[in-house]
Amino acid sequence: MNTVGETTKTIHPLVAKYLRPERMPHMACPGCGIGQVVHSVLLAIDELGLTPQDTVWVQGVGCSSRITYSTWIGDNVDAHHGRIFAVATGLKMARPDMNFILFTGDGDCGAIGGNHFIHACRRNLDVTAILFNNGIYGMTGGQVAPTSPVGALTTTTPYGNLEDPFDMCQMAVAAGASYVARWMVTDFKPLVSSIKKGIQTKGLAFIEVLLQCPTNFGRYVLKTSAPQEVLKWIKEHCLSMKQAEKLPQEKLAGKYLLGEFIYRPERTGIVERYQEFLQKHRKE
Amino acid sequence: MGSGINPGKYFVQGDEAIAEGAIAAGCRFFAGYPITPSSETSETMARRLPEVGGICLQMEDELASIHAVGAASVGGLKAMTISSGPGISLKLEGLGWGIKNEIPYVVVDIQRAGPSNGVATRVGQGDFYTVRYGSAGGNCSLIALSPKSTQEAFDLTIECFNLSEIFRCPVFLLSDETVGHTRELLIIPEESKLNTVQRIKPTLPPEKFLMYPLDTPGVIHYPFPNIGEGYGICVSPYTHNSKGYASTAQDIQEKMARRLFLKISENLDKLVRVETQKMEDAAFAVIAYGGNARPAIAAADMARENGMRVGFFRPIIVWPFPDGEVLKVAEKANRLLVCELNVDGQLSREVARAARGKAEVFHLGSGGVEPHLPAQIFNEIRRLYK
Repeated sequence: MNTVGETTKTIHPLVAKYLRPERMPHMACPGCGIGQVVHSVLLAIDELGLTPQDTVWVQGVGCSSRITYSTWIGDNVDAHHGRIFAVATGLKMARPDMNFILFTGDGDCGAIGGNHFIHACRRNLDVTAILFNNGIYGMTGGQVAPTSPVGALTTTTPYGNLEDPFDMCQMAVAAGASYVARWMVTDFKPLVSSIKKGIQTKGLAFIEVLLQCPTNFGRYVLKTSAPQEVLKWIKEHCLSMKQAEKLPQEKLAGKYLLGEFIYRPERTGIVERYQEFLQKHRKE
Repeated sequence: MGSGINPGKYFVQGDEAIAEGAIAAGCRFFAGYPITPSSETSETMARRLPEVGGICLQMEDELASIHAVGAASVGGLKAMTISSGPGISLKLEGLGWGIKNEIPYVVVDIQRAGPSNGVATRVGQGDFYTVRYGSAGGNCSLIALSPKSTQEAFDLTIECFNLSEIFRCPVFLLSDETVGHTRELLIIPEESKLNTVQRIKPTLPPEKFLMYPLDTPGVIHYPFPNIGEGYGICVSPYTHNSKGYASTAQDIQEKMARRLFLKISENLDKLVRVETQKMEDAAFAVIAYGGNARPAIAAADMARENGMRVGFFRPIIVWPFPDGEVLKVAEKANRLLVCELNVDGQLSREVARAARGKAEVFHLGSGGVEPHLPAQIFNEIRRLYK
């Protein structure tokens, strides 16, 4: 049996540098894409030189959050289901000098926390939110999500999903976020650059990552437990912005647009505005 | 940051006094959602907090406001939220996160006539059990204070903040529309006359400090390191070990549950605050809390003027319930008349439990809208007195 010390010698250097050895290995299912996203986040953190002293990891509830919670060697704040943006608002307003990286899921952000998500975008809260979109409720065992495809067979849609999926990137753009992008988990380089850009952007950066959940999305929706099959399905349903431009609207149904939806670094947000406001109104 | 305290005499509503009390206590973050009859506190905070460098946000709903408040406290700011009626129902969702992670902050409930939306602008006292038992899952205790006047609204708000830091938990100010909207004298003393408790910081280094003292469940004055202080804190909704790591182990769940309960129940002696009047020779006692204490005191005085030996008792710290003090009253008086603005008998039930059969307990209830009138209570005393 490995001791903690021995484990750290064999694990990835970014993990050894930024994650808590006693929290490794994490609890993701075999073939899950969450580890790949965490890898991208750690690389972005490393390349930007963020430290455990100036950066907090914030989670909600769901696979994205339960697996990453309390692994960061700095401070970890995990919210109730859906309340991640409300919690991030309190944290960031209290500590505007610190960086907050949010790990949320499609259920956490798009269903139960939808209202907080909208208003965090409207306030353009200066945080970096990573949306882990696996198209299903993984932690609870394969129930339909607001992002599940039409017709998807899940444990709560045994006759097929009747509802259209929620495009949260479009929502974030409409509500006012400074930076909005979507990538596939295997788009490693653009994803890392995008996370870096998001962290550096003043205002809310919303980065959606489409990732494979072989355990539940694979099993119920695609009838496969092979991660590569789920990735293949995602890839077949993705289009770049350029590809999409050439296609008529009806061909875009059921597709995921990849790339940057908006980048407006000039747009100010609540954190900056409140600091300026305080300088004028403060009497003491 | 300055103290923000403006000593002097003011003619203000209870709701405004709460805001001034919060600022005097060092509150520098407020998040709320408009709801009658609590909005005057939010409005006062919106005007006053920026003057002292504090942050006031109107959030998208009650859930967001209580979670932002808990998080701001984790960020190092003393924080408060306020609501009433259906808003309190929503707040309870976030309250559990505060209780579970032992986060100091204050929640104010300006009770109105319920259930549901009820009568938004008028008084009720239906949240007595809601604040204590409303957070799903149980396995905790809770502190709630209830003022009867504008002055007490100010004083007890400061006390709520102090207790929240000492016990490391959310504390309720359980007020009501009567107190919230009564405009009367408020005296704000000099800063030096006020007792305010600052956040307790760890003296142990991060590698030795445990965020949650599960092995010493009764300990209070336990430090709370904030984010950014090098302690690598872990805050989450899950059952956690002493470091904050999620656990499904039964012994950890048992320890955490006991910690959340025992830190209050093992320190009951520090949480007794009651008002008694003319109990020395009383054969009969009137019991009420919050704004409804005012007509109850007047009625007890009327009874005295009519030759009846009637005393008055009021819990000020209403949770944990002052069982011992109620028992003393029950051992003196033969009959206890509990006057409260709900028909289901909430305070009455606690009094009956704590009286342990030493006195007969009667409930004078009302669905709310109007507080009891002194004459109404007096008539009931006359009917029941023996």
